[in-house]
Amino acid sequence: MKIIVPIKQILDPSGLSFRRDKERMFINREEYIIDPGSRAAVEAALRLKGDEDQVIALSVGKPQAEDALREALAMGCDAAYLLSDRAFAAADVSVTARILAAAVERLGGADLVVTGRESGDTGAGQIGPRLAEALGYTQVTDVYALAAGDRGIQATRRWGKGYAAVEAPLPAIVTVAPEAFTPRYPHGARIMSAYREWDVTVWNAPDLELAEAALTPLLAQRGESFPPPLEVGEVFRGDPDSIARDVIAALRQQKAIA
Amino acid sequence: MDFSFLDDWGEEEAGPRLAEGGEGYRNIWVVAEAADGALHAATLEAMGQARELADQIGVYVYGVLLGEGVEALGQKLIACGADLVLAADEPALAAYQPETYTQALACLVEQYRPEILLLAATPLGSDLAPRLAQRLNTGLISHCVKLELDMSERLLLGTFPVMGDEMFHTAACPEARPQMATLKPGYFRLPYEDTYRSGDVQRVEVDLGQAMGQLAWVDLNAGVDLADVPLSKAKIVVSAGRGLQDAEGFALAEQLARALGGVVAGSRGAYDEGWVGEDKIVGVGGEEIAPDLYVACGISGDVYHTFGLRSAKFVVAINPDENAPIMKIANIAVVGDAKSVIPALLEALAV
Repeated sequence: MKIIVPIKQILDPSGLSFRRDKERMFINREEYIIDPGSRAAVEAALRLKGDEDQVIALSVGKPQAEDALREALAMGCDAAYLLSDRAFAAADVSVTARILAAAVERLGGADLVVTGRESGDTGAGQIGPRLAEALGYTQVTDVYALAAGDRGIQATRRWGKGYAAVEAPLPAIVTVAPEAFTPRYPHGARIMSAYREWDVTVWNAPDLELAEAALTPLLAQRGESFPPPLEVGEVFRGDPDSIARDVIAALRQQKAIA
Repeated sequence: MDFSFLDDWGEEEAGPRLAEGGEGYRNIWVVAEAADGALHAATLEAMGQARELADQIGVYVYGVLLGEGVEALGQKLIACGADLVLAADEPALAAYQPETYTQALACLVEQYRPEILLLAATPLGSDLAPRLAQRLNTGLISHCVKLELDMSERLLLGTFPVMGDEMFHTAACPEARPQMATLKPGYFRLPYEDTYRSGDVQRVEVDLGQAMGQLAWVDLNAGVDLADVPLSKAKIVVSAGRGLQDAEGFALAEQLARALGGVVAGSRGAYDEGWVGEDKIVGVGGEEIAPDLYVACGISGDVYHTFGLRSAKFVVAINPDENAPIMKIANIAVVGDAKSVIPALLEALAV
């Protein structure tokens, strides 16, 4: 089975701070990490991988995204491809899906594509279904448990207010919930090899035969905003029952609980 | 006698003025979602929002129903704001399948050309919307918490949370049509249900062509065991301190965590009492956490503890001492004994 895992590199959130009162985001430390959803996707793919299987990581990004791919290699992927080109700089999610689809096709298609449900930065959660449509594969999104089955794969996905068990034939695309696949730590020897021996292949727009028209983004950014600062120090006292009702109502209003 | 005033009166009655969208695209669609014979609340919220937007640009709101035996739900969509309901009532659409639903909607969009297409960001909507957007080669603004119209360009502006909900981005789809968005459930007002509103429920034929559902729905009520969520990733953390006095008090904190769908943790005091393991201590020498909601039960909150939760987004503290340090940083400070407040909270949650 050939499993392809599209991954994303994002700005490390622990190096960012957000000031609601100043309405600004501050980058205290500009470091890039592999997105937590992507790490979960690599983990999910590696858990499925048998001796005969191959796991390939792909990433669309700037040259520095190579680091994320090397981390995926260290975790256990067999090959890594960086899809990088100046022409990709303006890509939105529809264009990224097209770039990934071209790469998957150049690799001769996949039996299974595993990716994160949504990224930790812009988190649109669109790449899985868009890629599935571009490749003509079926899709199972927001998956919490994944196993190989007789027909292809068996997955437990979020559905309605709970979860549903689904079977899908191959080829298929699965997007996984980061909270359900805690990633492994790479083996020390693999980390060394990932940085010193193994290659990350770079493909650009001509390699993928992508015309300029296919790279035009559809969405345009129209500004950013911040939530109002949270109030500190609202004090509730008195009878426990009436406090409890007020507190639950306040939490629901804050969307802190469902 | 001059009766010309009647002409003006007649025009008033003519219904919404139809303004021109991009290349003949007009009207706002809401793709409805139903389960167990009832419409999803998030669909009604989307319908309410669609009505507000439609009134600003003078177009009609369409409800779109896919499934088997869904035609009967059309009247409710009309009561909530739709002018017309298209019902594709087909046995082939009885269960959700990404391929057939995408094909059915693409077929209807091509025929009727809506200017704006809205879905609720439920598990179904989040699965379907991006696939449909790719098929239609259009942009999709997902998980919107606010929708507006840029009247000068007649564009839908969608605002959605990014960076772990710390800030919002606003996006638009300037060229491609329809403009698509998914609406995060719980962020839009439910519309008033006006049972006197009238409108047609039209049955439509869709050409499913080669599209075939490939998924087999094995069990719609599957369980998932997520007990191993590490504290650092938990969205809701209920934390216990010495103020809970004994194991019985700690059991209350555990119950509250379960009721809220969160994880139970504790202060160093709770660890010393043997209530929580080493991996569940919040503070210096324990875990630094960033949950959406942190509930501190019977914790006074010295700096060693509060350091660990400085990234928490919303803090509720329950403590009998109003001057305890935790009460100063809490968004909601409840003055009272946790052992009597938690049972009341559990009761209020159950309602």
